[in-house]
Amino acid sequence: MISNNRQFVTGAEAAVQGALDAGAEMMYGYPITPATEVFTIWIKKGQKYLQTEDEIAAGFGVCGAVIAGQKAFTCSAGPGHILMQDAISMAEGMRLPFVAVIGQRGGPSSGTVIYSQQEVILSCFGGNGEGHRLVYSPSNLDELYRLTALAFHEAWQYKFPAIVLTDGYLLKTKGILDETKAEPAKAHPLINEETFRHWRNIYNFEEELRDEVLKMENDFAAAAKEAARAEEVQTDDVEILLVAHGIVGAAAKEAVDILRGQGIKVGLFRPITLRPLAKEKLDKAAAKAKKIIVIESSLGQLARLVRDQLAPEISTPFDYLQKPAVGIEVEEIVNFVYGI
Amino acid sequence: MLFKILIAGDGGQGVQTMAEIISKAAFQNNKHVSFVPNYGLEQRGGASLAFIQISDRDIVYPKFSKPDILVLMSEQARERAKLYCDELRIENKELRVYNLNDFAATIEAQNIKPFSHNIFLLGVLALVLGQKEICEKEKVFELLEKKISQKPGWEDNKKAFAAGEDCFLMASR
Repeated sequence: MISNNRQFVTGAEAAVQGALDAGAEMMYGYPITPATEVFTIWIKKGQKYLQTEDEIAAGFGVCGAVIAGQKAFTCSAGPGHILMQDAISMAEGMRLPFVAVIGQRGGPSSGTVIYSQQEVILSCFGGNGEGHRLVYSPSNLDELYRLTALAFHEAWQYKFPAIVLTDGYLLKTKGILDETKAEPAKAHPLINEETFRHWRNIYNFEEELRDEVLKMENDFAAAAKEAARAEEVQTDDVEILLVAHGIVGAAAKEAVDILRGQGIKVGLFRPITLRPLAKEKLDKAAAKAKKIIVIESSLGQLARLVRDQLAPEISTPFDYLQKPAVGIEVEEIVNFVYGI
Repeated sequence: MLFKILIAGDGGQGVQTMAEIISKAAFQNNKHVSFVPNYGLEQRGGASLAFIQISDRDIVYPKFSKPDILVLMSEQARERAKLYCDELRIENKELRVYNLNDFAATIEAQNIKPFSHNIFLLGVLALVLGQKEICEKEKVFELLEKKISQKPGWEDNKKAFAAGEDCFLMASR
């Protein structure tokens, strides 16, 4: 069925719309393909922005603005994303509702300007901390819209940095957006001008920092109960469990449909959040399966997350379909499953 | 129905303009559409590709390796798109290739200028896609007119579009 509010938009437009509907007020940024359009579309819509001298400044701009209660965000990609981790790490340490849309491009370094899934570890663990950040991986335009809006809600609710981790293909794809409008997120100044607060980003004693990090770990685990999301497809009687995220996750879902049609008991675990990972759902599906296939446009970044989080008593063997820096189509996934 | 079109040319030839117009025309024909541009970091002169998919249902993945139609507009593009130009699929009529070179005689006879080559091929595509009821060729022209009629060279472009249509009609007879 085709509804009336369907729009023909690019991924970048969908992300900006998600931010606007969540009530975003300000953007700091430094252009880099394929995330530039998120910034330029925001500017063209007449919104407030500041183009800084680099991604480090853009990131710290967001840190300052959110402390004042402004729903600010940024976008970046590839080498820009590396620089931005400086500010994201501070946001993690100071528990700031930092929001970023990241468009993965090929790496290392400037790599390509187009596509990869090689910024997974950087997004999840790119700081000198313990990876206390929310990382969302949208699989299509609707989800890119919805998760961008959600990033604002959850960043402000849990006070962890929130990264919408997408890629150049999805940001540049023009397709159909057909979503109900997201609610605005609630924000408030994290400190008043009149108040004096000793708000630390550096600690005198190791034990103080230890306590702080352990508290963050507790809060993160508590947040994970609600914030960890995954889509499960046909996992009830699953024998071969596919694990894939982002647009590769969308391709894997289609592959499950095709393979099921041919009587093969395939299912999919698609993390919608890479951090925190929906661990219990993963364990449950993985324990049933005879084989787990992790599929990604990288040499094992998702696989590392999955193996790390999987309960140690689960001994299901792994297989991998890994194509660094290029896309993975439905047909390739179907053929790979046939091949094993 | 899932129909896949790959347009390949040089940056500056108007590949993305063609793709934008076709995608929009199909969208306005109530189809599901996905269009993803693909090019390197050159501002001009690099290979420029456009992957378009049109369907009656949701399109799950933006890229593909087996187009139904392949449009080739330059030497560089032919090289870049080799991967997609499967001889066996051409033989089996699963893939139709529209190569600018194959239209050289018409282009010369009708004096179609280089800046209108993309519009000429858009005329060809409009007719092909119109026949398949993927989009209406009148809609394609309407969108083209809206986009570029205020720019210099509109008369040439209009002529090129019509010539593309005619040329294809002649060929299919």
